[in-house]
Amino acid sequence: MTDAAGTLSGLEPGSFRDPDSRVFTSDGRVLRLLSEQGLADWRQLASSPLFQELVGEGRLVATEELVERAAFPDAIHGGVAGVLEHDVIPFVSYPYEWSFEMLRDAALLQLGILRRALESGMVLKDSTPYNVQFRGAAPVFIDVGSFEPLREGEPWAGYRQFCMLFLYPLLLQAWKDVPFQPWLRGSLNGITPQEIRNLLSLRDRFRRGTLTHVVLHARLEQRYEEKEADAKDELKKAGFKHELIVANVKGLEKLIRRLEWKQGSTVWTDYGLETTYSADDAERKARFVTHAAASELPHLVWDIGCNEGVHSRIAADYADHVVAMDADAAVVDRLYRKLRDENDRKILPLNVNIVDPPPALGWSGSERQHLPKRGRPDLTLCLALIHHVSIGGNVPVAEFLEWLRVNTGSLVIEWVAPEDPMAHRLLARKGPGEHPDYRTDWFERCLAERFDVVRSEVLAEGKRTLYLARSKA
Amino acid sequence: MANLFGYIDPGSGSLFLQALAGGVAAVGVFLKVYWRRLKRFLHIGKPEDESSESSPS
Repeated sequence: MTDAAGTLSGLEPGSFRDPDSRVFTSDGRVLRLLSEQGLADWRQLASSPLFQELVGEGRLVATEELVERAAFPDAIHGGVAGVLEHDVIPFVSYPYEWSFEMLRDAALLQLGILRRALESGMVLKDSTPYNVQFRGAAPVFIDVGSFEPLREGEPWAGYRQFCMLFLYPLLLQAWKDVPFQPWLRGSLNGITPQEIRNLLSLRDRFRRGTLTHVVLHARLEQRYEEKEADAKDELKKAGFKHELIVANVKGLEKLIRRLEWKQGSTVWTDYGLETTYSADDAERKARFVTHAAASELPHLVWDIGCNEGVHSRIAADYADHVVAMDADAAVVDRLYRKLRDENDRKILPLNVNIVDPPPALGWSGSERQHLPKRGRPDLTLCLALIHHVSIGGNVPVAEFLEWLRVNTGSLVIEWVAPEDPMAHRLLARKGPGEHPDYRTDWFERCLAERFDVVRSEVLAEGKRTLYLARSKA
Repeated sequence: MANLFGYIDPGSGSLFLQALAGGVAAVGVFLKVYWRRLKRFLHIGKPEDESSESSPS
């Protein structure tokens, strides 16, 4: 590629791996550039009944081939042969921000699509959860460029990737109660067969699926690490058929459906039941959020520390999309299950700790984007949060408000005064005088320096105050 | 070779494993891989034309 850097500026930085297909964004549209091979594969997919079915079911992102050809970056080696336009995903998320159930649903979506593709004479060339996004609580497969014609006799090229990025992370959490998110955040390639084998106990080795997908897989991988072997050719000559991939996929579907994460009762899963709020205060708080959402009419809302999602749901009545974030994976998992059962398409639950937010990752630090880069919220809710950020997380009050000023339009923030029992409990764990900036007057001064306060309301006998404020540019 | 894999490295071990993870019929394929290797090692059977079996893509 010899393009000037400027012409490549709209390219989606995470889409460089497949040489036949490259995503770029332009004026809010999501377009995909295709090579000649990519275009031929797309046309086969587009003319199949499977494509219409998957799009109709909401499992595959709606896509059209464009006739217009001007002004597209020449980002495909050998030339751009065709351009597709995809429906826009409201907010991009990554597997290390998903809960167990979300990764499981994404895995089942991937396997289901692969199985049906095989039945239609096609195959998916890769198997990564980065090809799945969520619209609200509904997973959707976004990589139309992943479909290609099936070549009979060849095994499934994406099997290893599926294990490393879907199966092993799910096993880790279901069998060891170890959260997979830090592992996927630590390596974009996931967990290798040898690594998961080393993590499993003797007892785990007798569980369904371990022998083939983990133990033998790790052994074969080690065996062929150094050895030259034309596996594809040998398998083909030994009579490998696509029905064997289908059988493997069905086995994986069964295995993954049976996995269960038995999360214990965490601090937060019971939080909704034992807040310090009186019913009257809770109602006034809900009304404050309602009025704020109604007056700001936001396109995108972030609810940081969403817990059960009560206020996310209120905001969703007035917003196009809500990203509901919580640091507790169990809370997010529970919210996701509820939203999924309601067929929600507006609220996206994510496992995010705002004090340690998902960073930019991957090649050149831009393959996976930093949270604020994926869409600036018009309204951010920070309800019963600041004591966790500033006392629990040691982020100075002024710095937290500054971060909010930069990253949001409007803000609904609840000040939890040091006298409040919840704040008091956190302060009591620290040495005396450890948080000199955690004071009501200082908070109000920092807020007023960075935001125009539109209104405020005192709750809980003065121990908590709600503010609606608009960021100063 | 006409039919190369895509842009990801599928891993030789992971490919052979699929001749175990696809049920009884698959295990047959796995055994046949070794049977063919054994025959090749013992120089049994007729020599093959290596390029004749690649399918059009």
